[in-house]
Amino acid sequence: MRPGPLAALWWTGLRRNLAMTASVIVTITICLAMLGAGLLLRAQVHTIDRYLLGQLEVVVDLTDDITAAQRTDLEDRLHSDPAITAVRYESKQQVFDRFRRDFRGSPDVVAGVGPEDLPAALRLTLADPRASGDVVVSYTGLDGVEGVRDQRALLQPLYRFLDAFTIGAFALAAVQALASFALIYTMIRISAHGRRRETAIMRLVGASNGTIRAPFVLESAVAGVVGGLCAAGLLVAAKILLVDGQFTRQSTFPLFGWSAVWESAAAVLAVGLLASAAMASLALRRHLRV
Amino acid sequence: MIVLDAVSKWYPSGIRPALSDVSVEIAAGEFVFLVGPSGSGKSTLLRLLLREERASAGQVVVAGRDVARIPDRRVPRLRRIVGCVFQDYRLLPNRTVAANVAFALDVIGRPRHVVRSIVPETLELVGLGEKAQSYPDELSGGEQQRVAIARAFVGRPRVLLADEPTGNLDPATSLEIMDLLDAVHQAGTTVVMATHNAALVDAMRRRVLELSDGVLVRDEAGGGYDTAPVPPLATALPTAPATSPPTSPPSSAPVPASAPSSARIPVQPGPGVPGTPGVPGAPPSPWAPAPRGPVG
Ligand SMILES: Nc1ncnc2c1ncn2[C@@H]1O[C@H](COP(=O)(O)OP(=O)(O)OP(=O)(O)O)[C@@H](O)[C@H]1O
Ligand SMILES: [Mg+2]
Repeated sequence: MRPGPLAALWWTGLRRNLAMTASVIVTITICLAMLGAGLLLRAQVHTIDRYLLGQLEVVVDLTDDITAAQRTDLEDRLHSDPAITAVRYESKQQVFDRFRRDFRGSPDVVAGVGPEDLPAALRLTLADPRASGDVVVSYTGLDGVEGVRDQRALLQPLYRFLDAFTIGAFALAAVQALASFALIYTMIRISAHGRRRETAIMRLVGASNGTIRAPFVLESAVAGVVGGLCAAGLLVAAKILLVDGQFTRQSTFPLFGWSAVWESAAAVLAVGLLASAAMASLALRRHLRV
Repeated sequence: MIVLDAVSKWYPSGIRPALSDVSVEIAAGEFVFLVGPSGSGKSTLLRLLLREERASAGQVVVAGRDVARIPDRRVPRLRRIVGCVFQDYRLLPNRTVAANVAFALDVIGRPRHVVRSIVPETLELVGLGEKAQSYPDELSGGEQQRVAIARAFVGRPRVLLADEPTGNLDPATSLEIMDLLDAVHQAGTTVVMATHNAALVDAMRRRVLELSDGVLVRDEAGGGYDTAPVPPLATALPTAPATSPPTSPPSSAPVPASAPSSARIPVQPGPGVPGTPGVPGAPPSPWAPAPRGPVG
């Protein structure tokens, strides 16, 4: 069918079915906004990952009384370990400088600490930063080693927090997706009833099955796209008002940028279009005899 | 054009077959009446030709296609070459006359310039050029049926099925519709018309197929509604206006239209005569050109 007549069919259907369509759009918007929020949270995790992986290292604190032989021995072992790609020595003064730099936002913490209070350290860069556990275990307790710290472990609570919100957002999106399907299913049923004369005539004059289904799928797909646009709008609003407006000032980590927002918005739009069209096709099997 | 070979149809819920062992052949360009009491299977037969239903046994061939073997996605093609009209017109109330007719072309994807030229032309042919912008509820029953015929004919089908097209119309209007269907026939379309309208059948003197309880009990070329010869047109059609008498002179012996069914003669196998030549008074030339548009 040409676009003109198809649009005319869609328009009559929309006018007949306005309230139903509106509720479908609202549900789809919520569903997709949740999906988008989940995607942005994941983008945030990745942003932090990227930032931290360059910074966080496994740190081997050295005892103050370590001998030169012990240190050479330790460094040899570290150099020959395939899990470790780089070993860097930091003297007490360097450790202290870094400490002051890291906590420059909290002068109270820095106040009572001097260069002598902090141990000299070997900072390790790992081949796989996520496999830090093994490294920690194998070097803890060696001669001259005061302790082995995995800085990434310090961030576990943050990761858990972000993961929980991501899962929560996706779960809500899934629930809303079910609700959307139920509503689209109902919308198609009502629409099929409202269009039964039209479909009967279309069938009679030899319209193809695709043509007979097209107005229904279009109806649902348009609702999906409108819902997707609303959800994308919400994501942009969240970026401007919440992320840029609130969190940047409070956060010690970099936050996801606009590219993550555009990617999520595009994903949300595509899902809105395709999923609603697919749901409509599924519902049509039930409600439209072709 | 249409061949039924030992066709039977049982509906799932039916106790007896709606059609049983019907064999008939209708040539291209024929005009055939399908008569018989209510429930005798006329609509069922038409539905089989449209693949609205499938035969339970036997073979239905339309325009060279074994209807039962057409895959589902090709059924629309069959319906493009088989137009149909019904007693209840089946127009879309929210569309104008022109839009109702255009709808039939739009939904099969005909280009806009074609729709723009064929629709007004077809409305002229059915005598509704003036009413193109009216809505169905502003039209009389006869005019609505003209729109329905225009819609069925606008795609220039090779076969036109009409299921009691005059069922809701008064005798004079019925005759006008009959004229229109006859003009469609003159244009080369094969027409099958199921009807209870004895006067029309008697007046037209075309091939008559009669069903009774799903059995084809009569296949008579130039027959009347009932087996026996019919009275002259003047008595059969009190309100008959412009239509001229049938071309084949009926026997003069008047017999009541409701002759007992025992008088019916058995089925005459084989094809009947092709459509009789044009009835005088049918619209002439515009219908005459060969069917246009895709015919298969
Ligand atoms: N969809 C159906 N399901 C079950 N039985 C049906 C169905 N349609 C028709 N029948 C039965 O098939 C038989 C033939 O019906 P059909 O509609 O073909 O008759 P008809 O000759 O068109 O009658 P009428 O002149 O009243 O329109 C009837 O006994 C009817 O009850
Ligand atoms: Mg019937």
